[in-house]
Amino acid sequence: MRVRTIAWNTFGSLLHNRLLLLILVLFVSWILLMMTPLYMLRKEATLANAQRMESEVLTLVSLVMGALSGFGSLLAAWCTADAVAGEMKSGTILAVMARPVRRWEFLVGKFAGVQILLAFYVVGMLGLSHLFARLGGQHIQAPAWELLVYPMVRYAMYSAVALLLVTFLHQAVSLAVVWFMAILIPMVVPSGRPHLVPTLILKPLYYVLPSTGLLSESRFLAITESSLHRTSLLQHTITLAYGLDYALVVLLLALWSFRRKSLTRD
Amino acid sequence: MASPVIEFYGVTKVYHRAFGGQDVAALVDVSFEVFPGEVCAFLGPNGAGKTTSISILMGFVFEDQGNVRVFGYEPGDVRAKKQIGFVPENFAFYKHLTARRLLEFHRALAGPTPGGNGPAISELLVRVKLDEFRKLRIGKYSRGMVQRLGIAQALLDNPQLLILDEPTSGLDPAGRKEVRELIQSLKAAGKSIFLSSHILSEVEQICDRVIIIDHGRLVRAGLLEELRGQTSQVELVVDELPETLEAELRERGATIILGPNSVHVTAPAAQKREIAEALWTAGCDVVSMNPQKTSLEDLFLKLLKPSGETP
Repeated sequence: MRVRTIAWNTFGSLLHNRLLLLILVLFVSWILLMMTPLYMLRKEATLANAQRMESEVLTLVSLVMGALSGFGSLLAAWCTADAVAGEMKSGTILAVMARPVRRWEFLVGKFAGVQILLAFYVVGMLGLSHLFARLGGQHIQAPAWELLVYPMVRYAMYSAVALLLVTFLHQAVSLAVVWFMAILIPMVVPSGRPHLVPTLILKPLYYVLPSTGLLSESRFLAITESSLHRTSLLQHTITLAYGLDYALVVLLLALWSFRRKSLTRD
Repeated sequence: MASPVIEFYGVTKVYHRAFGGQDVAALVDVSFEVFPGEVCAFLGPNGAGKTTSISILMGFVFEDQGNVRVFGYEPGDVRAKKQIGFVPENFAFYKHLTARRLLEFHRALAGPTPGGNGPAISELLVRVKLDEFRKLRIGKYSRGMVQRLGIAQALLDNPQLLILDEPTSGLDPAGRKEVRELIQSLKAAGKSIFLSSHILSEVEQICDRVIIIDHGRLVRAGLLEELRGQTSQVELVVDELPETLEAELRERGATIILGPNSVHVTAPAAQKREIAEALWTAGCDVVSMNPQKTSLEDLFLKLLKPSGETP
């Protein structure tokens, strides 16, 4: 009950966050700008070489959705860090924690509130994917649940990592660490190519850092062919279980770290 | 005697500064108790350790040494917090909410409490004179309005103990008087109140027990009447005073204030018998003789020496 109350309040607070609203306006403007050439390409495609145009439209869709998806991970981290650090900085946490609220309830409520916001973001993102595909005269063949569940699990991992970091680091430092982590993740994945960084460092990093590439919904954002046939239910289960397990372990670490944290600004 | 609602024994708290900064001892071996139904004033200059002590009581920070219990539970235990109403110093709220929504949020967090659900939200808003602003977002409130809202949320669930950190800061004289009356009504209802304040004249009117700390150390703790009564002066009121005796009394260290119908002689308590006899011998009518009680402000200033040394 208390977790739910804190979660919805967190969601409401995030909706009133000016920086978040500014980013949203910029994103909508950017998307509108991206839609203009899509319209034009579509018109040209009907006139001349349709196949070439279709490929260009799909590249554009992939580019936009990839950016939105990548941004979502950082949005998840930023919202989570801000939801906790903002309360501590402003002092609103004191009034909340003076109520019969346990520390874990507060943190889980904050985490859940951010996930509600991200759920809206993912649904919006899915809607945009369909809109762009339609503008390109195509249909997304991947089932909707894949495009909803995979990013949610990935965002939960980023949220949990940000939550853990913000329990003992400054908000800005926490976000810098998450940003660096997001850059580092694709670099530590074994690729067969020679690495500049020694294996001695790469291997532990590969096991410690989340394999978010596995949970990228862009794997399923195939338009011309369905990826559904290439991913079995077992593979889905293993991949999602890995992501949820990672998020849960990091969340538990965050709860443990927060249990004795000073809540005042001293 | 009933068991204390607050037990604060031998508490030490040191803030460790990062990157080799000097550690700050916020509290050093501080001990006190607060009993049910008492209004306890927690006094001290800025930086004395009042807010740190309150933060420890609420479970916001943890003591390095000592033993703290609130209603017999560890600070931060939800069973204790269910019985506490808290107004922090510089109260901060979610600015996008209205007063009603904020109180609804806090009521949802509180859940069922041992003291019952407490007054209705609309009733509370009337009580703190915010009912006409109930649709205004808190971000647009003045400091005084925010403070009154803080008091409203503290009273939300009929708490048995109120912990108020500077509850009258930001309030105008009328607002301060209302808070004082509110505290008196809560005291009459049998609630325990633990408040820190700088306004000693106000505290003096409402508190039973006083705890004074300075530089993180306990300076004095006890019942207000006992502390005020610990004086070395006595005041005698006489109808008239011959000039010869006046000079003699002044030599003995007495202070004399001549009024239109009476004379007030304040003298060291050790000499009260001799002075009284001298007055009677001179034919003066001694109307009254009372030990002079120190005001809380005088006591506070006397205990907290400018050098920072504690007696």
